This record gives sequence, C-alpha cells and structure tokens, in this order.
Amino acid sequence: MKRLSRREFVRLSTAGAVASPFVLDPAALGAAAPTAQEVVDRIRKSLGVSWKPDTVDTFKAGDPSTVVTGVVTTSLATIDVLRRAVKAGANMVITSGPTFYSRTDSPMPPAGRGRGAAASPPADPVFVAKNEFIKTNNLVVWRFSDHWRLRTPDPFAQGIVDALGWGKHPAGSTPGHISVPAVTLETLVADVTAKLGARGGMRIIGNPRTRLQTIAVLPGTVPIQAALIHLPRVDAIVAGEIREWESSEYVRDAITANRDKALILVGRTLSEDRGMSVCAQWLGTIVPETPVRWLPAGDPYWRPAV
Amino acid sequence: MTAGDVVDRVRKNLGVPWRETTFRDTFKAGGPDTTVTGIATTVFASFDMIQRAVAAGLNMIVPHEVTFWNDRDDVSIVSADPLYREKADFLTRHNVVIFRMHDHMHDQRPDFTYVGSARELGLEAKYETAPGSHRFIVPETTLGALAGALQRRLGARALRVVGDPNARISRIQLGVGYATPAVNGAGIDVVISGEQQEVDGFLDSPEYVLDAASLGIPKGWIMLGHAVSEESGMLEMAQWIRTFVSEVPVQLVKAGEPFWSPQFPPAK
Repeated sequence: MKRLSRREFVRLSTAGAVASPFVLDPAALGAAAPTAQEVVDRIRKSLGVSWKPDTVDTFKAGDPSTVVTGVVTTSLATIDVLRRAVKAGANMVITSGPTFYSRTDSPMPPAGRGRGAAASPPADPVFVAKNEFIKTNNLVVWRFSDHWRLRTPDPFAQGIVDALGWGKHPAGSTPGHISVPAVTLETLVADVTAKLGARGGMRIIGNPRTRLQTIAVLPGTVPIQAALIHLPRVDAIVAGEIREWESSEYVRDAITANRDKALILVGRTLSEDRGMSVCAQWLGTIVPETPVRWLPAGDPYWRPAV
Repeated sequence: MTAGDVVDRVRKNLGVPWRETTFRDTFKAGGPDTTVTGIATTVFASFDMIQRAVAAGLNMIVPHEVTFWNDRDDVSIVSADPLYREKADFLTRHNVVIFRMHDHMHDQRPDFTYVGSARELGLEAKYETAPGSHRFIVPETTLGALAGALQRRLGARALRVVGDPNARISRIQLGVGYATPAVNGAGIDVVISGEQQEVDGFLDSPEYVLDAASLGIPKGWIMLGHAVSEESGMLEMAQWIRTFVSEVPVQLVKAGEPFWSPQFPPAK
C-alpha cells in the first residue's frame, strides 16, 4: 500500500473522494502518539476561544488516557461512522453532534418522560450495541460543538462555503454573508444538493426562478431572532434547521409580501458535516503525530420518489 | 356576532376547563368587540392565508399556530421588521380578528389534531390499540411502502424519512406538531409526526434510527412537517365550531405546506 504523508492524507481525505484507510508510519508515530486527553488539551490550548464552564464538549465514551492511533472527525458519531473509523484504524472520534441521542449524551436511555424510571425496563438494544462496539474497539468519543463554532470565521459556515466553491467571492463585513454571481433558486438548490451530498433532508421556501446574489450561510439551528437579522440583508438563507413556527413562516410571509427571498434548509447534521472537515484539517496542524481524517455522516433523511 | 361571543361559546363547549394563564390561546389581532363576518380555521395565520380568508369574506381567523413567527406571538421580537408592520396593517385595514386555539385544542377530547392527522394519513380507527392511544398496529409492510403511500395520500412535497426502506414494520406511534414521541419507546416500529429538532433533544430519533438501521433493527421516523401534520385537524375544528356557531360561515382555509424539495418542486 502506498504511504501518504500527513499533508497528502488530510488533503485527500478531506476532498471526500478517498476511501483508503489510514496509513500509519510506525517510525514517525512511535511513542510520541498522544493520548485522547492530550489531544483535547492541545485543542483547548490552540483554539483561541475561552473555554465555557458549562459545555457539551466533553468525553462521551472511552478512556481519555487511551493512546490515540488516529482521529476521525464527524458531524454525528453514528454506529456507521464508528465502524468506518475502526476500519480506518482510528480510535478517537471527535463529533459535533451527540453520540447517545440526546444533549445530555447519557449512555443509557432516558427514563420515560413524566413516568419516572420504569422498574426494570428491558435493555434498549441500540444503546447496548453502541456501548459494546465502543468498548470492544477501545474507542474514545469526544464532542466538539460549543467551542468549535466560536472560531472566527465560523468553521461550519466555512465548510459549506468551501464545498460550494464560494470562497472566491468574499463576503462584505458580515460573517457568513456571501455574494455569488446571480443564480436562480432552482440552480442554487441543485448545486447545494450535489455539493453537500443531500438526499431527502432538503426543504426549500421560495420561487424556483427567483434570482439570488447574496446568501447568508447559517449552519446549525437558526432561531427567529437570527432570521430577522439576516433575511432583510440577503436574498437567501442557507441553514441547518429552524423551528417551523418561526423562521419558515417568516420567510413564507416575506415572499407573500413580494420580497424575493428564499430559505434553503439542509438539515442540522448535514449543515455541520463540512465544518468537521475543516476541523480535521486544523487538527492535522496541532496533532501532527497522529493521522486525522474527516468521515462525513451524510444526510440522515430520504424521501419517497415520485 | 362578535369575536368575544365566538370565544365564549368555544370556552362553554370545550368540555375542559379554560387555562386562564395561557399565553397561546389569546387574541393576536383585533379583539372581543370585533364583529365577525365569517370564521376561517387554519394551522398557521400566514400572510397568504389571511389574504385568502379576507377575500372569502371571513374576518375571524382561528389558527392552531402562530401569527407573528414566535410561540408567544411576542410582538416586541418582530416589531422592528417592516414585514411585521405590513402584516399588522393589513389585519387592521381589513378588520381581521385572530384568536389562537392551541393549548385547548390539545386539551380537548378527542384532540382534533390527532383525529385529523389519522384521517388524512388513512390510519383507521380499527387499527388503533385503544381510543386516544395514537398507537396503530397496521398490517405488516415496509417503511418504504408506508412512506410512499403517505406521500401519495398527502401530496406532501417535503416529507422526510429516516430508516431502512426495507425494514418490516407494523406498529406506528402517531405524534402531532412538535409533540413527537421518542422512537425508542417500547413496541414502536415507526413514529409519524410533524416536527422535532434533529439533535440535542431528549431523544434524538434521527440518529437513533440510523443506528437501529445499522444494526438491522426495524425502526422508522417519518416527519410530515408541522403544518402538514396539524392542518388536517383544523377541518374537525371548523366542523366543531359550526355546531355552536350558526350565524356566520365557518370553514377551513389551509395555510398549506410551506416547503418544496428537489424531488417535488412547485408546479410550474
């Protein structure tokens, strides 16, 4: 198997087209490989963002003293992503989304809402299997969400901008605002679908023939307060998710009132996918002893065909 | 009759006590003294829906959801936006009165949002394990076949599904709006509902279903969208209001599904 330098590895794997597993060079790695805790320590030291006392960015599974054989970044630490990480020889997974299906990331299912804990509920097979897989493969999972998105520019937005090839159209003074050559909403949707790898998660509001030139890239969840700030200043918002009694109704009303506006929702996970590719590139610079690669979680949704 | 008369009759016929502290089920435009020419029920008092109601001569709107893009219809959040002023001015100019029916619609038995959704989805009462359980055991099918059948019934453009299309399923838990049951509940194969946040919730069903699919455990999550999920029950709401309001016309005026998708673009 051809050996790749770290730079080549990161470049190829973040291009998204490479299926090759890690190629470790034992001589280069050797005893210098850091532990998962040391990787996190370096992230905290190098990030340039002050650490929040109350954060979801903590270890979710595994032993932080584990020596890291390879790091995988992803927007969602699904079993599929964990399997691909193991196959690639990595044992540390850095995810922007939860591992155990909730903000609290408890490795056991939550007790029934309003019903209290059941006497002895049957074990939830999905939780059980995921815990076992992590344990069997000595994986360490660490969440990186609150602080990664505080970087300037927002790496999640940057990931989308890079994927869409918008980097050469620098925004004005507002972070996340991009100017593009005039494009119809229909064409923009096709472009976003193809370049982010969307399946059934895309939802759009707006006239397909509306011409767009300015776009606010707002990954993650966009509350109405943000939509009110951004929409009047751009033609379209590309976002992860919104609450459907908020921003989607606001955009619908704007269109009724003859404003040429559009909203493209790609889903929360897909909106953060590329930002974790940016993360892999950055980690490669601060953890040079260990290979780092991005594994896309992809679009969780599909939609019945016509 | 006045809007106040209509609300009095709603409260009297509701069958459950009025929540005096509700911030949702209040007047959002106009007030109790507004004279009513006709009543339109709907899921969202969208600007477009309001214009169609006014054109139909219906100046009282009873939406299940919001008018001003936030749950409390707190005008202070939106009032700096010129769009708010345009919408509010239109309401004033056309003497429109809006009274939201949300909390009490869900308190009422039956809850019309579930009745309407089950009707529209074709989930027949004979399949429900008990009235009001919202749990349906249907003849075994696949997630793909179920989702396809629902899509065709609803004509929904932006329905979203998670799970293996070949998963064999029969036990459906129906949710409505944002009240989406957790998919890992005992005896549930598929959750059908309106909306739920994708991650960072109480139980993130999309990720759970992805993992279940990886393990070969049959699970499915079908999100209709909030408007599609709860609009159907506004027909039952209109029919119910008609039983105690005979002076003016009462009808459903749909806000409709706000979204389209690459698979189902809008009609040219």
